[in-house]
Amino acid sequence: MNDAHLCRPWEHRLSRRRLLGTMAAGAMGAGALGGLLEPAIAEELAAGEKQVVFVWLDGGISQLESWDPKPNTEHGGPFRDIATSVPGIRFCELLEHSAKVAHHLAVVRSVHTQDNSHSAGVARINRGDPKNRGVVYPYLGSAVAKLLGPTSAKLPPYVWVKPYSGGFKADDAGFLGAKYGALALGDAKPPENLILNESVTPEENEARNDLRKFFNRRYASQRRPDWTDANSHVYDVAHKLMERMDLFDESQVPERDRERYGTHDLGRHMLMARRLIEAGVRFVKVNSYHWDSHGDNFNASQSLIPQFDKPFAALIEDLHDRGMLDNVLVIAMSEFGRTPKINSHVGRDHWPEAWSVAMAGAGLKRGLTVGKTNELGTFVDSQEYDVGHLFHTWFKALGVPPEKMEYDNNGQPLPVAHDDCWPIEEVLA
Amino acid sequence: MSPDELKKRYEPKPTGKDLAYERQLWQARYSPCGRFLIACGYDATIQRWDVSGEEPKLLSPLTGHNGWVQCMAFAPQTGKLFTADSWGQVACWPYADESPQPVWRLPEAHDGWIRALAVSPDGQHVATSGNDQAIRIWNAADGKLHKEWKAPERLFSLCFHPDGKSLVSGDLKGLVRQWDVTEGKSVRELDASLLYQLDRIQECGGARHLAFDAEGKLLACAGQKKPGGGFATGTPCVLVFDWESGKLVREMPMGGEQDGFAYDAQFHPAGFVMCASCAFPGKGHVWFWKPDQEQAFYTSTKLPNGRTLSLHPDGRRLALLTSQAANGNGRQLKDGKYDGGSAKVQMLEFAADVG
Repeated sequence: MNDAHLCRPWEHRLSRRRLLGTMAAGAMGAGALGGLLEPAIAEELAAGEKQVVFVWLDGGISQLESWDPKPNTEHGGPFRDIATSVPGIRFCELLEHSAKVAHHLAVVRSVHTQDNSHSAGVARINRGDPKNRGVVYPYLGSAVAKLLGPTSAKLPPYVWVKPYSGGFKADDAGFLGAKYGALALGDAKPPENLILNESVTPEENEARNDLRKFFNRRYASQRRPDWTDANSHVYDVAHKLMERMDLFDESQVPERDRERYGTHDLGRHMLMARRLIEAGVRFVKVNSYHWDSHGDNFNASQSLIPQFDKPFAALIEDLHDRGMLDNVLVIAMSEFGRTPKINSHVGRDHWPEAWSVAMAGAGLKRGLTVGKTNELGTFVDSQEYDVGHLFHTWFKALGVPPEKMEYDNNGQPLPVAHDDCWPIEEVLA
Repeated sequence: MSPDELKKRYEPKPTGKDLAYERQLWQARYSPCGRFLIACGYDATIQRWDVSGEEPKLLSPLTGHNGWVQCMAFAPQTGKLFTADSWGQVACWPYADESPQPVWRLPEAHDGWIRALAVSPDGQHVATSGNDQAIRIWNAADGKLHKEWKAPERLFSLCFHPDGKSLVSGDLKGLVRQWDVTEGKSVRELDASLLYQLDRIQECGGARHLAFDAEGKLLACAGQKKPGGGFATGTPCVLVFDWESGKLVREMPMGGEQDGFAYDAQFHPAGFVMCASCAFPGKGHVWFWKPDQEQAFYTSTKLPNGRTLSLHPDGRRLALLTSQAANGNGRQLKDGKYDGGSAKVQMLEFAADVG
């Protein structure tokens, strides 16, 4: 048995060597996986069964064509705004379905962040843009996986439903170590080789697994435990996931749900997110790419935003109908918004100055907007909130009090969110 | 005429009397009477310049629209201008009046963005369509609904055949459809799907503009060849069809694969097509191409960001509307202010013996 074989079920795009390399890079010399200074709190959190659906629209959705329309103004574009289910709150007409669930939503319209490039912005936003302490912070999903762990269902704590390929994405974990990376389901499909080959009996599989564990122990005895810990971890979660292969059986999905969420990628992936949450996954990230509308923004928005709007509203409805919205935090965002200015190519460029994030559930207040932009939508005209404030807010909503919870990076205490930021109290119930 | 001869005769020269407007515009067209240059765009107004004197004079605007006004067309027989906006309103204006008030207006002519408007050759009817996929024919005189039917796809463009019997539409998927106006029935389809692409998750491109030659023998369709999402890159391109056979007679691409849209194509009375493209800010061409020739006989990269070209009734003057809005990420302030872009109409003219 070679190393690559050990990793294959989860690491079908990554060799074991590469995985361990990633883990080492993630540790950034710290030498140990991050631990919790107060494990008792972590246990308490796990019992709370809070969960997260994080919808990431990569490239940047326009706030003006979604949550913060400015119709009939200089930068407002062609679209109308429409009434929502909350008197006084209006969304762009492209959010026709989300408007009907606005009474469940909390929209922060005064988000002001620091990066206007994808290359820096995506990671910076996903990591909560903490103060630089010489370590690579985890993405939100990895942070939640660490801080709350798996739910009682014991399924992988951080699952990423994404277009294209899947695999185990260790980079998200930063200094926490590869164990807290994301299990990525490419196109919502199960990881390769998850299904036991028909020629292998359960007994043979068990024997094979014992042999793997034997070799793993020998391998681990010569290496640092944190490195091999991640390898064992992915096998453990694979075993657990194998018990829930029904999640990948589309024939079990009612036709009505398929229609409500849509048959396009984002619709199918958000429906999978709901099913994963129902099954007990702690944190599900759903990714959609290609929202970077530097040209022809308004036709692009007309093509793209409905692909988000319909399944997002369906997800909110379903979580509410199932009584789950009180425990499931739903977040929809990008790395920034888009410029108020419409360039000559009828596009909008990158705009971190004033944009919007939509959230719901997990005890957040419902049916409100927080903060505002000026009449032209160019800048924030109230208290600005950076992503550090959002991280504080989300952790608080999930029951993680930042003042009590910090990472232990081999003896180095690290706050889970930016020291100078604070929770946005207006959205916290 | 050879390409060289055509270029020598029809290369437009700047007059140095360009018009500036503080907001971006979608169209700038000379009125059939030749006295006005009329423009519409991002600020929901209709702007008028009196161009009959030595210097163009900006007149009072026509107001009452919302969102963007992207469509307008004249009825030369009645001296009326028809305009449509992105909130669904259609209006009829006596545009030459000192302070024009609408003859009629239909605030809810469509549900949302009206993308296309055309006036019948006899000036009796106005056709409109847009995001709601409805094609509606209005009586030009009073705005009463004459006929309506549904198109199978979102439409970007409309034009009447010069014989008045057919209306032609161009849609998102690059399908050009001939409609029998009397029956409201589809007669045939022309394939301009080269101008459409489903790029990953985004439907891109479409038949953005349609124009017939004066005799109705050729139809030009403008857009972007192999359009992509995000940056909306592709090759600006105009397709010319033989109307009788429906066959594509000339593909007129201009620029690189990473450019942008051909927004306008107009037939010159001499038989060539005048095209303008707006690629990334600062890019785009103006090019003239005779459909029976292999190459454009005139190409300029010094006239970028073009939205529309309009030939004055005198045959000599040519107005090129351009957008002036640089791209750029993040906070970019100009004299402490956030610049939202503007428009410039470049006033060109042909040689003295043209027209």
